[in-house]
Amino acid sequence: MPRMVGTALRSPATTLAIVLAALITIPLADSLYRIPIQVSDSLEPIVIAAKYDSAQHLLRDSLTFSPTTFRPLRYLQTRALLAFSQATGLTYHAVFRGLHVILLLMLIALFVAAVRVRNWPDFVAFTVAFPVLIGIHTFLSMLLEAFPVNHFAQVGVCAMGLFVLAQRQSRWFVPIVACLLLALSLSVIESGVMVWVTVICCAAAGLPGINRTTVVATTVVLAGYLLLRHMLGISSPGIGGHGSGFGDRFYSPEELAQRFGAHPLGFMLYNVTGGLASLLFAEPRQGVYSLLAAWRQGQIHPVVLINVISSSATTALLVWYAAARLPRSRSAWSDADRTFVAACMAFIVNAAFNAVYMKDEIMSPAGLFYAVATFVAVRAVIDSPPTRTLAATAFATCVLVTIAALWTFRVVGGQYQLRYHAFTTRNDWVDVLRPDKHDAWPDNPTELAVTQRIRAEAIGRRTTSPSFMPRWADRYWVE
Amino acid sequence: MKRGVMWISAGPCLVLAVGSAWWTVGALAGNGLWPPDEVTLSEAVATRNNAEAVRLIEKGANPNQPGDVRDGLLTNGYAVTVKPIEAAVGAQRADSLRMLLDNGASIDQEELTVLRCLEQARHDSGVSELLAAQSTSAVDCAGVGSPLERVR
Repeated sequence: MPRMVGTALRSPATTLAIVLAALITIPLADSLYRIPIQVSDSLEPIVIAAKYDSAQHLLRDSLTFSPTTFRPLRYLQTRALLAFSQATGLTYHAVFRGLHVILLLMLIALFVAAVRVRNWPDFVAFTVAFPVLIGIHTFLSMLLEAFPVNHFAQVGVCAMGLFVLAQRQSRWFVPIVACLLLALSLSVIESGVMVWVTVICCAAAGLPGINRTTVVATTVVLAGYLLLRHMLGISSPGIGGHGSGFGDRFYSPEELAQRFGAHPLGFMLYNVTGGLASLLFAEPRQGVYSLLAAWRQGQIHPVVLINVISSSATTALLVWYAAARLPRSRSAWSDADRTFVAACMAFIVNAAFNAVYMKDEIMSPAGLFYAVATFVAVRAVIDSPPTRTLAATAFATCVLVTIAALWTFRVVGGQYQLRYHAFTTRNDWVDVLRPDKHDAWPDNPTELAVTQRIRAEAIGRRTTSPSFMPRWADRYWVE
Repeated sequence: MKRGVMWISAGPCLVLAVGSAWWTVGALAGNGLWPPDEVTLSEAVATRNNAEAVRLIEKGANPNQPGDVRDGLLTNGYAVTVKPIEAAVGAQRADSLRMLLDNGASIDQEELTVLRCLEQARHDSGVSELLAAQSTSAVDCAGVGSPLERVR
């Protein structure tokens, strides 16, 4: 590893790309760290993990917590972090939110490794693709995930880690690492299947790091997982398990079950195509087409336009690359072509995970691959022949600058939303352990102590009120 | 593409990197991008920041003590000095009002009249309900001034 780093740092373009990524990521990590531990989706698993007398009992019982999910590591990870906090004397906030930040840093590092900046044209392509990575709505949704440990980020790290391995020459340990990453991902959330999808897509695209052994081994792990789920009687969630959008409005689980429960196929098709469209065109969001609603209401928020234009222009670039620059024969593909194809296949397949309901977080691995594909396409634009007419050069430059500027604007919007989220999350804690509802406080002393401690930590950390942030920000950054 | 032209595309991201560096340095110096607010208890309530209000009360702030509220938060064109409960009613925040009552704020008969008249001017059903729980008698707002009109 030190030799790899040393080699990478020999190129000033590589060094500058790393510096640039670090400069932009530090405030992002800071904003992420400022979000308190969430009440929704976090408090309950933390309390459950704290109350159990042993990890074995927790593991055994956690298998029966939900009839549609199998996430044995979810509670065990939480319990381990509680123990770590106790052993080190660190606050719960430092431990849990710190892990969210570490996962963010790992994602950034893996992206830098995946795009492999080696020269100045690579660097310029990186300056366009990096804002796409952290500015896309799926990335922000992933960062805002409320679980004690960010499982969607874990899946993203595992999938990107495998992708980076796939780009390198095959090594003996790759099948083992791939199986471990897949097992880890599957044990925290069902979207972990994306790790297996990544293996298959990389193999299909001919990336050198994935051999037949890796494909077979990971497929066996996946089959074992599905078998285990079946043996434990865990089913897949159906229509009505979650709320989701359709057309220009959002439907509750009950409404969805009533409307689509009897004939779900059309709705599932809507979700899959909508999931892909959400990534490629920034519409719909959670199944709701804001443009449709805006057209009916006769007014449109600038944020919708900014997101749609930036995403659509970037997608057009990918389409251009696939149509004009990708050789027809797979044998003629370069490393960049294989990277592009594998990334595109992965994000297309990821859309299928939206079949039952649409959620930005589900598409978060796809967002990572979308940014990788963008890097390859932008690099190709930069590499296009310098003999073209002045008009063609001016057009290409305008397109790239527009894309870069809009995505950069979206990145700053992400910062705004993280701060806003920190504010609302902190205020959520005011309604926990309310003095006027003392009767509703937990009876269990461990549960009460843990809740009081997290609440005190959350309220003790000051945040920024949106009242002191730009008034126009909501219209331009919040959808 | 010509090498010189391609660098134009890097401009937005480079600007973001410079801005990010500035935010980081500013954050280390205690400022940075959108730093946490330094607010009075009344301002915390006026800006829907109940958590900050709870923090200030837990640190010893008096929930019955009037505090300054900057121009633009409750009023336009001038700052005011109001009690936290007046800020809650003025900002139409029933949750803030309830939180203050839970944390030691008290309302005497005279203050209740002022608050109910303020609520009648601003109209919030949640606030109205909470104030009605203090007294259900009819209120005469003739001659009752709004605390938000008091210029500092």
